Amino acid sequence: MTIPLIRVDHLSKVFRVPEREPGLKAAMRALFHRTYRQVCAVQDISFTIGEGEIVGLIGPNGAGKTTTLKILAGLLYPTSGEVTLAGYIPWQRRAAFLNQIGMVQGNKSQLLWDIPAMDSYHVLSEIYRIPMRQFKETLDELVRLLQMEDLLTRPIRNLSLGERMKCELVAGLLHRPKVLFLDEPTLGLDVTTQNRLRLFIAEYNRRFGACILLTSHYMADVEQLCPRVILIHNGQLLHDGALQGLAERMAPFKLIRVTLDGGVAINRGLPQLPEGAELLERNENHLILRCSRSAAPVVTSCLLSACPVTDLTVEDPPIEAVIDQVYREGIA
Amino acid sequence: MNHRGGWALIKRTWMSWIQDRGFFFVLAFGWMIPPLVALFAWMAAAGNGTIAGMDRRAFAGYYLVLVLVNQLTYSQTNWTLGDIIREGMLDSWLLRPLSPFYQVLSSEVAGKVVYMVFVIPATGLLAILLQPKVDISPSRLGLFLLALILAWGLRFFWGYWLALIAFWASRADALLAVQDSLVFLLSGVVAPIALLSPSLQTAAILLPFRYMVGFPVEILTRPLSDEILLQGLAIQIAWLMTALLLTRIVWRAGIRHYASARG
Repeated sequence: MTIPLIRVDHLSKVFRVPEREPGLKAAMRALFHRTYRQVCAVQDISFTIGEGEIVGLIGPNGAGKTTTLKILAGLLYPTSGEVTLAGYIPWQRRAAFLNQIGMVQGNKSQLLWDIPAMDSYHVLSEIYRIPMRQFKETLDELVRLLQMEDLLTRPIRNLSLGERMKCELVAGLLHRPKVLFLDEPTLGLDVTTQNRLRLFIAEYNRRFGACILLTSHYMADVEQLCPRVILIHNGQLLHDGALQGLAERMAPFKLIRVTLDGGVAINRGLPQLPEGAELLERNENHLILRCSRSAAPVVTSCLLSACPVTDLTVEDPPIEAVIDQVYREGIA
Repeated sequence: MNHRGGWALIKRTWMSWIQDRGFFFVLAFGWMIPPLVALFAWMAAAGNGTIAGMDRRAFAGYYLVLVLVNQLTYSQTNWTLGDIIREGMLDSWLLRPLSPFYQVLSSEVAGKVVYMVFVIPATGLLAILLQPKVDISPSRLGLFLLALILAWGLRFFWGYWLALIAFWASRADALLAVQDSLVFLLSGVVAPIALLSPSLQTAAILLPFRYMVGFPVEILTRPLSDEILLQGLAIQIAWLMTALLLTRIVWRAGIRHYASARG
């Protein structure tokens, strides 16, 4: 059992957002009388996160992920509820609290573009008062893990997006934060760079025992890095647990892929399938069927006994499909 | 206060700005133009005579000192603060264990160094050509330096609290444009205060704008009595205190709003 490092208790955040009808008349009216509407970005969510955990915060655009992350990082006040992080109330932004967190956002840069990253790292070492020896050790290790020795002396503006993100990650980690917030860290990166960053994040977590809270729209990030996911939709917490658990809960069906003996398959019909099983696709001697989890053994047995099966696999639907379903329909 | 971190930030910003020195030299040149236009207009008007006791060399002295003071007290940082607040870039400042004020101060200090690399030689060249009349006795020089520091503080913090209105209004930089216009009119740029109409002179003496530029210039170039000097310093300090108080109030309320109202 890990010690809770982050405790979120009945957290809610309501924004007051100005709105107006389109058109010139409405624009003129808005000059004198602005109307607002309340937007509930986060609604009564609670969870705890322990030291060293990597947790994926997932949900569709506008779900409340970044709002939650910003509250945890002390950038936003909540409307109600309580949050503690390493014993601190985030939005009080005490120096001791800020020394323990790091935040890297895929769509925002914290490095100055005109100068090499190394200059910015030296400034960060002064801001965080990192002893020179520790600074050198940490920097050497991070640079080696990310294989970015040649990037340190080039102005940031001359680096590619992936190279820049490596530099951003190092900037966010130099002070060895206990808690790292990663907001879309692989946004816009190519597959190879995404993989390298994922390996790096996992390795950093292993070596330094840092708690990592990650938001991403790339399911590969979440699948590879996060044993636990928190799914937020319309500001509400819909799932807190393993990603696989979400798939099982959300997709109460299995996919059965069958390959039939090519010589006899074409002329033979399929057996009568049990209720709840349906044929999704047939391509000559390859079939894909979907059935309820409970019916999977019966359907499999039926197929094996009635058809000339040469290969058969039973699998969960792709996680992307499950998440897509949740984002579109929510959880019943 | 983390002064070590603040100083490191100032050095980094300066290094960054040096990369774009050409851009900043052009900006500095642009800011020199209005006082230089006024200088040549007043020199032409004075001809071989005097206006309110000022001859051509006195105008040259007044405006060349004014060019330096104007550049040293002008705060370009406040113009970008609104964008930083509006576009959420303040987040990365707030995540650091360092007062966000250091970020603003760092670009302010870095800017002064870069601009002066251009402005000092340019003003020096004009001084050789125009033979300005300036009182550089040690006592006047000392008072000038004191008034200059206060003028920088006043102009910077006055613009800073106006720029912080961006926490609520998306285009608060319009207020900075108003401030610049009032500085142009009432701080002695368009004309030395002594040449303004009596009503404008009264406004100039009472409002803060003269103390952002014109007052330090007058110390070196106008025959101010001790009484006027002390009165000027007292008003300058009073306005600076007001600006500091307003900055504190607006920052606290603004940061509370920023952390409550953004989506």
